[in-house]
Amino acid sequence: MISLTRRPLRSASPGRRSGRPENPVQALVWLLVLACVLAPVLPLLYASVQSKPIYDTGRVFSLSAYSQLFSDPAFRLAARNTAEFAVITTACSVVLGSCFAVVCARSNVLGRRAYGTLLAVPVLLPPLGVILGWNALYGPGGYAHSFVTSTLHIPFNLNSVPGMAVLGTATAVPVVFLVCQAALATMDASLENAGRSVGAGPLRVLRGVTLPMLRPALINSGLLVFTLSIESLGIPLVLGSPVGHDFIASYLYGAWSSAASPDPPLVSAGAVVLLAVACVLLLLRSALLGDGARFVSVGGRGGADGTVALGRLTRVLLGVLIGLYLAATTFAPLLALAVESVVSQLTPLVAPWHLLTPANWAAVAHGEYLQAIRNSALIALAGAVATTVLVALATAVAHRSRFTLRRSLPFLLLFPRAIPGLIIGIGFFWSFLLVNPPGHALLNSIGGLTLALSIRSLTLAYFVLSAAFATVSTALDDAGRSTGAGWWTTITRITLPILRPAVFVAFILMFISILNDYDPALFLTTPGTTVMGVAMLNAEAQGVNGPVAAMAMIQIAITVTAIAVGGRLFTARIARRGRA
Amino acid sequence: MPDITVDAISKSFGGKHPTGAPALADVSFTVRDGELLTLLGPSGCGKTTTLTSIAGFQQPDTGRITCGDQVFFDHAARLSLPAESRNLGMVFQSYAVWPHMTVAQNVGFPLKVRKVRRPDVRERVRQTLELVEMGAYAARYPHELSGGQQQRVALARALVYSPAVLLLDEPFSNLDAKLRERARSWLKQLQAELALTAIFVTHDQHEALHMSDRILVMDHGRILQAGTPEEVYRRPGSRFVAEFLGQCNILAGQVTAPTAHGITWLAVGPARLPLAVAQDVRAAGSVEVAVRPEAVELSEHPLDRENALTARVRAVSFLGDHYRYELDAQGLPLVATSPRHLPGPDISARIPPGACWIVSHEDGARSAKTANDRAPEVTGA
Repeated sequence: MISLTRRPLRSASPGRRSGRPENPVQALVWLLVLACVLAPVLPLLYASVQSKPIYDTGRVFSLSAYSQLFSDPAFRLAARNTAEFAVITTACSVVLGSCFAVVCARSNVLGRRAYGTLLAVPVLLPPLGVILGWNALYGPGGYAHSFVTSTLHIPFNLNSVPGMAVLGTATAVPVVFLVCQAALATMDASLENAGRSVGAGPLRVLRGVTLPMLRPALINSGLLVFTLSIESLGIPLVLGSPVGHDFIASYLYGAWSSAASPDPPLVSAGAVVLLAVACVLLLLRSALLGDGARFVSVGGRGGADGTVALGRLTRVLLGVLIGLYLAATTFAPLLALAVESVVSQLTPLVAPWHLLTPANWAAVAHGEYLQAIRNSALIALAGAVATTVLVALATAVAHRSRFTLRRSLPFLLLFPRAIPGLIIGIGFFWSFLLVNPPGHALLNSIGGLTLALSIRSLTLAYFVLSAAFATVSTALDDAGRSTGAGWWTTITRITLPILRPAVFVAFILMFISILNDYDPALFLTTPGTTVMGVAMLNAEAQGVNGPVAAMAMIQIAITVTAIAVGGRLFTARIARRGRA
Repeated sequence: MPDITVDAISKSFGGKHPTGAPALADVSFTVRDGELLTLLGPSGCGKTTTLTSIAGFQQPDTGRITCGDQVFFDHAARLSLPAESRNLGMVFQSYAVWPHMTVAQNVGFPLKVRKVRRPDVRERVRQTLELVEMGAYAARYPHELSGGQQQRVALARALVYSPAVLLLDEPFSNLDAKLRERARSWLKQLQAELALTAIFVTHDQHEALHMSDRILVMDHGRILQAGTPEEVYRRPGSRFVAEFLGQCNILAGQVTAPTAHGITWLAVGPARLPLAVAQDVRAAGSVEVAVRPEAVELSEHPLDRENALTARVRAVSFLGDHYRYELDAQGLPLVATSPRHLPGPDISARIPPGACWIVSHEDGARSAKTANDRAPEVTGA
């Protein structure tokens, strides 16, 4: 038998007083996250209580912006529209999304597996593309508009507030569906089977067991959708504003871009009001759900697989209904968009094959459009890399270190989700103006845009990574420490490599999210630094529909490719690891 | 290898222990060079907290832990050496073999951390894998290994850098019974051959008796008794220790004749049967006596020496290498084992005086229940 040498390989290092950070990186990461999260908020608060814009001289402390805001009838109308839109959207999407989730998870409905994915995927589609597709299809003069109003006799007007809420519902259903699906997957179906074993019918079980247990998921997704609805900017900008139906977000954007003296304190005040409402909703959510519930982790399987066997007719009928819903809300609008991108005009009066033209695609291949596509791709790539690295380290500090301030990190990382996109835009505008250097260099540059768009999406990466960290036993870290590796070595050589698939998913999500986002960019872009979403909105406002549709198709194509590549690599890795 | 000295460490977690006791209360012991010391106790007794405190994954609230002349933890000096600087080897209950590295990479990692030259890493990894009989599996990934093989990899990883002390946290609990038996013998042999100093945590009494040079029995965050396996088994310091290690009859009785000459007479059971105990008890009072089932002599013929009782067999079960009898010995419930099957129902049972061990003695108001390192000093005031 071989004997090992008894000489220790490394002399002992001196002891450390307890409480200090284990590694300077921890403090650095914490400071960076704090700065990123506070950067858009603090200057905004300051700007809202000034009598004049920050760049003007002779400013004094004043609350006049707030009184001016609240006394403006247009703002009050916008607030009422926003509330109406948010309430309808939330109610409808919670009902529809949870029904779809229950039916797909707990019944043998036709095509349940495919629907399980298809109903969730639209959450990743570019929101602007979906809006433009709806406009092309259901808008006044749209392809299906006369079919809906004349043939089906549904008095549907996409430009009215309830009409926009229908679109809002369609975009929010995937969010509710995902949250409920995750809750159902972790809920032990034997609880429901127990109900049926004592003689309760499927509907009675649904009412008495499934729905009460789903309540946290319903509250969670409902509040989430409500928060997203009140900050909604793309829908009113494309559909509402042209006919005078403004929401708070579009009202503020209008005031920002059309005011006599640019960037009035009024806009900051309105943004602060919106931020306050969003924060209250976030606090309400954590109060109602507790800390843990905010991190919905998909994947835990229930003890038993409980499916209700539907009658043959019901099974097919329900399946067809869900299919029709998907076709009407997602596939048909995207198809309309695709057709619009290759015709000179999309109109029900002339068959599209008579109007075929390559001009739209030719238009996006150069000039401002090409520049926007390049900028978007660059920003999404750089932002995704930077955010993934920062969030991975921040999550490691938050969940795998003894750093004193680590407990504040989860909140800091969740907070950007509560900040409406336009606030990030306005807030960064002010902070770039106020903090110089490096502010002025960032103000009209790609770098500044990247920063704003990345911070807006940061929380998504944290959702993915915190759930992933929770699945890796701390014993694996401890084993690293016990063999002599410090915090940095343990995190970079053991924990993060084990989490490679999750880090990769976070990167893909970041990439898609940053690529398709445009709210903050509306307030920060200048002619040289425009991004796809902004270019599309500007062109659409001028009535240039074809190239906009082509741009949307490009956005969708990049997104779908990223999802496909990501999903494929991800499942391949999981499969390799799962062969244990 | 240096001694590990744990001096008066205590630890309580935010919420109180269900029983009201802290997780660790004033725990002190020393692990000597080349010794395998076992921390034995039920779940929640504080054994793992003690081990993780030594490893550096938890910080006690008070006390001091040293390894030779190196201070690992000193509450008074507000000093705590980070886990990675303690140069200990640890085998985790879940093995914690890193899934994204091959066997060789797992074992080589500690050496890379120590910036050992590449050829040396390769050589030492090879040697260590040979040592744990895993040389053929160097290129495999953990998911391609069985539980027993993963455990060997975990051990190789903990040994490869010649740590000062090896810490083992219930390393066999995830193995099946047969494999566990083999792994025990193998690890004990390896520990002896390499003269490793090791601290072993388990709740399995057989494991503890099999492997240990010395056992520390813990409960409610305290050390109840420390001693060699034989001492702890044969001369338990308390009723808890007696019952935790193997099966035990606990007979309650009164001292009828205090003595200092080797034999004490007791009256036990509801019938106050006379029982001779080979121990000095110098004061009257009530006592509890521990008797191991295998120490009870059974016979189908009457036994006529001291401590012989007639017994009726209430139940008998066959356990492979022996029979287990539940007896009613003149009103005294008694469990006994024997390799022979005895025709019942009435047999004779005898408790040899040397097989009786007094685990508690209440001398009037003063309790002699002890919780120290030694068997109780059953003496008068």
